[in-house]
Amino acid sequence: MTLTWPIIIAVAAVLLAPLVGGLLRGLDRKLTARMQGRLGPPLTQPFYDFGKLVGKSRSVSSRASIAWVWSYFLLTLTAFALFFLGQDLLVVFFILAFAGGALAFGALSARSPYARFGANRELLQMLSYEPILLLAAVAIYFQTGGFTVYSVFEANQPLLPFLPLVFVAVLVALGIKMRKSPFDIAASEHAHQELVRGVYTEYSGPHLALIELTHWYELVLLMAFLALFWVQPLWVGVLIAFAAYFLELWIDNIAARLRWSWMLGASWGVGIGFIVANLVLLSVLL
Amino acid sequence: MSGELLVSLLVLLPVAVAVCCLALRNAAAQKVLLLPAMVLLMVAAAALALRVLPEGPFALTPAAVWDNIVAVLDYVILAYFLYIGVTSRNGLVLGLAVVLAVLLPVVQFGVLGGHVAVSPVFHIDALAIVMCLVISVVGSLIVLYATDYMPAHEAHLKLERTRQPQFFFWFVLFLGVMNGLVFANSLLWLFFFWEVTTLCCYHLIRHNLTDEARENALRALWMNLVGSVAMVAGIGLAYNNAGTISIQELVTGGSALVLLPLALFCLTGFTKAAQAPFQSWLLGAMVAPTPVSALLHSSTMVKAGVYLVLRLAPGYADTSLSLLVAIFGAFVFMVTSLLAIGQNISKRVLAYSTIANLGLIVCCAGINTDLAIAAGIALIIFHAVSKGMLFMAVGVAEQQIGSRDIEDLDGLAARRPVLTIAAVIGMLSMLFLPFGVAFAKWAAIEAAGAQAGWFIAVVTFLAVGSAATLVFWSKWLGRMLSGPVVETKEPKPFLAYGTILLLVSGAVGLSIFVTPLITVLIQPALSGMGYDQAFDVAGWHLRTTFGFFPPWALFLAVAAAVLLPALAARGYRKELDPVYLCGVNVDGPELWFTGIAGEPVQATTGGAYWTQLFGEARLTPLSNWSALVLLVALLAGVILR
Repeated sequence: MTLTWPIIIAVAAVLLAPLVGGLLRGLDRKLTARMQGRLGPPLTQPFYDFGKLVGKSRSVSSRASIAWVWSYFLLTLTAFALFFLGQDLLVVFFILAFAGGALAFGALSARSPYARFGANRELLQMLSYEPILLLAAVAIYFQTGGFTVYSVFEANQPLLPFLPLVFVAVLVALGIKMRKSPFDIAASEHAHQELVRGVYTEYSGPHLALIELTHWYELVLLMAFLALFWVQPLWVGVLIAFAAYFLELWIDNIAARLRWSWMLGASWGVGIGFIVANLVLLSVLL
Repeated sequence: MSGELLVSLLVLLPVAVAVCCLALRNAAAQKVLLLPAMVLLMVAAAALALRVLPEGPFALTPAAVWDNIVAVLDYVILAYFLYIGVTSRNGLVLGLAVVLAVLLPVVQFGVLGGHVAVSPVFHIDALAIVMCLVISVVGSLIVLYATDYMPAHEAHLKLERTRQPQFFFWFVLFLGVMNGLVFANSLLWLFFFWEVTTLCCYHLIRHNLTDEARENALRALWMNLVGSVAMVAGIGLAYNNAGTISIQELVTGGSALVLLPLALFCLTGFTKAAQAPFQSWLLGAMVAPTPVSALLHSSTMVKAGVYLVLRLAPGYADTSLSLLVAIFGAFVFMVTSLLAIGQNISKRVLAYSTIANLGLIVCCAGINTDLAIAAGIALIIFHAVSKGMLFMAVGVAEQQIGSRDIEDLDGLAARRPVLTIAAVIGMLSMLFLPFGVAFAKWAAIEAAGAQAGWFIAVVTFLAVGSAATLVFWSKWLGRMLSGPVVETKEPKPFLAYGTILLLVSGAVGLSIFVTPLITVLIQPALSGMGYDQAFDVAGWHLRTTFGFFPPWALFLAVAAAVLLPALAARGYRKELDPVYLCGVNVDGPELWFTGIAGEPVQATTGGAYWTQLFGEARLTPLSNWSALVLLVALLAGVILR
């Protein structure tokens, strides 16, 4: 394959992702408010919040923390670009794990009880979803004969009809990665709980804005991964990804934060169990 | 220089130097002897590589009298093991030594009929060269490190009479024996070298002569003797079933009759590589001075175990034995990675990580495709460099800080910046792409995924284990990086710090240049074993038929993502703010806040180990029994087929 088109697509994706990610977060807040019987902020509120955070003065409790938060952003951006360049999915997920590690390192560097508490839980979250993502890539190989994003587009059939249980497992991983209830255990969504803001406690102002921006990239990356399950044609996959997003929001609103041991059990039991079941069925039936 | 001379030098130079060490009592004299000797050893290894890599395997058969010398030495060592068993009143050592004392003559004189000429006795191919380079380069650097470490170690123990001569004797001898082990093609010679590594290991673990050291040394001894018994039985069966005790002939013979001996040899490899349920000997080995751990974990001992499993892989390709080896290795990788999460002793975390990585290498041998074997060989190299260095760093930290507890390494960066940076890079190199160890993990998962059927179990274990490694490294790594500012001077002993920094640059450099490493070393090793090329290396990328890994491009991106922020943060000169403590901070001391009654309260933080889930009390019995069941299945599967 020539690299011209992938590079154009990747550059466009990197430029557009903050817009899409921010709007998705706005939609989240609007819909969540409606589900709770509130009016909710305008759709563009995340951008105002972002601008306000950027303009605040910096407060830093550890130099290593600010270094790692930038690494978190840049590594996520790397994984994001690799995905849209059509690269190897396992490489994308490994780099994404490095990014997640950087977020935890930043919080661990701060010597604050709340940040460290959150960081350890962030690592438990990674322990929960990382096997699902890696196995999902293997499942995609089973169906397409390749580990690359590109090979999914080369395949002549959509993945979802063959990998339905894998898709469900990825939804579990998505819930954890989006830090939504019942999986918001590393940083509670509302700062007035016992965790304070967990892994984000020691970040404020521009650094918090950077984290928010990184979350937007992460969100778009995960949505794009969901869309991979139906790329013939692509718009079906995009619709599926949106549907999954709404499902996560709905679950977020009806579920409470649960214990990490429950999360580990659920994600390994349901997530890994479903993927293995799906692969075994595929091997037996086809 | 002729090939014969180089081979003799690589095996006999360490032996001669080891004997000289017995006479040296002071540190300066040791350095004067060891520095040139170790440099010479590295040069010899490089020279042999430069000869074998372009010209193909090098065969060597010493005069027949050497066969007899080796046979006699076998019995001398065995008699010594019996002596240890009797004097220490250790039933297991004694029992196994007795079994060996019966089995060895039965095999040697009954089955083999006295004398079997194997041609060649030494077969030095590219795989042997990879091992030889790892042993001679990483091993030598650890020896040099030890010349700085041991005087400080003894000063701390306040010994009346130095025990360094004995220490360096066994330590340096180990390198020569390991070289012999990887060169050997005759199973009898392999067995001889195998026994000497067990002997060296026993004495090194025992070195401090405390009760714990003696006990752990005996445990290492009996567990390794289990492997020796399996090996002797395997030699007898191999000759009985296939009529040969040449490794090359066994592996390329393609006879199903050799599967049982191969399975027994794999079992032998598992004991030496401390795979579950034999992991406790390696965990116990940390009572020894740290250079011993660095040596055992990186370039010698355990690597002999995985080398044997990998060396024999072509012999059991496409069999159920191969599948079971893969499942076993992947299982060990998973459980030991999970066990590492629950540990707060730094050396114990490193030990579990070693066992996990060895499990991954075993798993690669079992997956047994071009890509998997390439991943296994790459992992031997990268793991040796990174893990040797990490043990050395932890050893220095222990000497300077007086603790091996991860809780005490919190905020090490403020006290020992150079050491911390080195350790952090070492840990990153064990953990994340684009570094070599993670690259090998990537290749292993893709290779396992590309196999159908039961390999789903393998890939599942690998995925869970991979996530677990992320947790135990990260929660340790993250806490070292910032601490309260302390005005201290970091003592930097030249050879200790020099070797650590050399290995750190090795870990990074080899990872960046993984493509040439693969072309120059790993692909010849693959061809030598009868495998095809695993990668298309056009553009210095690594492309397989189903995956793609661009090392240098990733390094550019990751270096920018990690180094630029680190440099920028160093330049941040404004006063740091106190952390949020859910109360008004008290001015001055770190982590104090004003409590409800207006009194100052100190906040404390500590590590998370979640021992209720990942503790040894919970996981070890489970993993040992499961591993045992897998081993029984492995042997039964071969016997019953």
